[in-house]
Amino acid sequence: MTTVSVAGLRVSYGNRAVLDDLAIELGVGVHGLLGPNGAGKTTLMRVLATVLRPDRGEVRLLGHRTDDRVGLRQARRRLGYLPQAFGFYPRFTVREFVEYFAWLREMPAARIPLAVDRAIERVGLRDRADDRMKHLSGGMLRRAGIAQAIVNAPRVLLLDEPTAGLDPEQRVEFRTLLRELGRDAVVLVSTHLVEDVAAACARVSLVDDGRLVFAGHPEGLIAAGGDGDSGDSPIERGYTAVLRGARQVSR
Amino acid sequence: MTGEHVSAQVLAAYAEEQLTDGDAESVEAHLDSCDACRASLPPSEAVQRVVASVALALDGLLSTPGRLRPGTGWRRVRVLVGAAPAVRAAWLLSVLVTGLLILGLAVSPRSLPPWVLLLIAPALPVVGTALSYGPRTDPLHEVVAGTPQGGLRIVLWRTLAVLTVATPVAVLAAVVTGISTPLMWTLPGAALTAGTLALGSLIEPTYAAAVVAGVWAVVVLAPSVGGLAVVAASAPVWLAVTGVAVVVLYARRDRVGRQAG
Repeated sequence: MTTVSVAGLRVSYGNRAVLDDLAIELGVGVHGLLGPNGAGKTTLMRVLATVLRPDRGEVRLLGHRTDDRVGLRQARRRLGYLPQAFGFYPRFTVREFVEYFAWLREMPAARIPLAVDRAIERVGLRDRADDRMKHLSGGMLRRAGIAQAIVNAPRVLLLDEPTAGLDPEQRVEFRTLLRELGRDAVVLVSTHLVEDVAAACARVSLVDDGRLVFAGHPEGLIAAGGDGDSGDSPIERGYTAVLRGARQVSR
Repeated sequence: MTGEHVSAQVLAAYAEEQLTDGDAESVEAHLDSCDACRASLPPSEAVQRVVASVALALDGLLSTPGRLRPGTGWRRVRVLVGAAPAVRAAWLLSVLVTGLLILGLAVSPRSLPPWVLLLIAPALPVVGTALSYGPRTDPLHEVVAGTPQGGLRIVLWRTLAVLTVATPVAVLAAVVTGISTPLMWTLPGAALTAGTLALGSLIEPTYAAAVVAGVWAVVVLAPSVGGLAVVAASAPVWLAVTGVAVVVLYARRDRVGRQAG
């Protein structure tokens, strides 16, 4: 059962195609989205988050086509999204911030207070729940961002570079949270940290130059690498090997 | 199947009990030993329904911790208004300054020509509206745009917050200058605000506001059409402008507040 399905996706800025004829299918579980900077990871995330309209192609979220108004609204209720860069309203407390997004995602009013509390607790910000956002550190802001993305118990959760700004201990905690969330939701995590994928993702997709060049289990990516490939870990060697292979084919 | 993983199609077929007994057994044998495949095994419809109903039942049973903030209507309004960047220092200050100008005019009528007020008061909601959404001015535009209440709904809420603050200023201006009636001052304000929202579905909201404010300045300052006649006898024009803007806004409602940054 795939719950996210993309076919023939094309997105271009001006004349430059950022994503070109990309197809991807995602089921329940934690998926890592890897790729060099500028490969189109964030663009793909933004299309899936229904923030960016593709030039061409079909996007289905939870069975709803995103170009259908009614279906889109249904899908958005079960969507959680953390962009790579996000701001905040400085006067908001963490609780108000998370509550605001619970409301925006049309959660039943009676369930919002408890859901907000749980989301804040899951990211470990319980003690700071009533602090203003402007008094939080970078890592705490990132965690508050994750809390707003999970408050509606999303079926599709999109996290763009969620580990940026987290210290090593927090990253380990975050991976545990990811695995929990991936039990009953599609979780897509874009990252340029290959180790994050090896540690927390059941499947991995690799995007290069707007195309999907690898999709499978992390072991598959590891197996692609050989001793001659550059990288400090087996999965990094697999990553560079797959990229090199894809670039040779396209030439 | 040893050493290999089970394909997504086979897993889906297994979950829906579409496999033969023999195939299902070998899939199960693999699942016993493989975390990755077990993690990607989709729960069947029936299991999902059970999980959802258990979650719902538990929600009612679990005690609510004391830290919870009750979701009152007042709290919702406060959060909603607090999130509107327009209701922020810079804009509120400009509304306040306009209010003070008006009071100053009331005390010493010669200190300031009335057309200055006509230029500013109806344009205040335009500026406030433009400041309250769009990738340039809303720090959370990207996340808000991907929510079901994002887009037109949240933009209208924020516009309402802006108008609540700006309308009394326009009414006050009408009373103090003695030009026409308060209703006639609010009509251009409504038309300009609707025009900004409509144009904001085509171009970036801040540019839309600049265009609308520019047009307003031309209308007010132009010797042939302009001046105080603008508010005195032009209600049908403003109603027409508002109507056209609302139609455009409805037709392009999917785009309002959802442009890519």
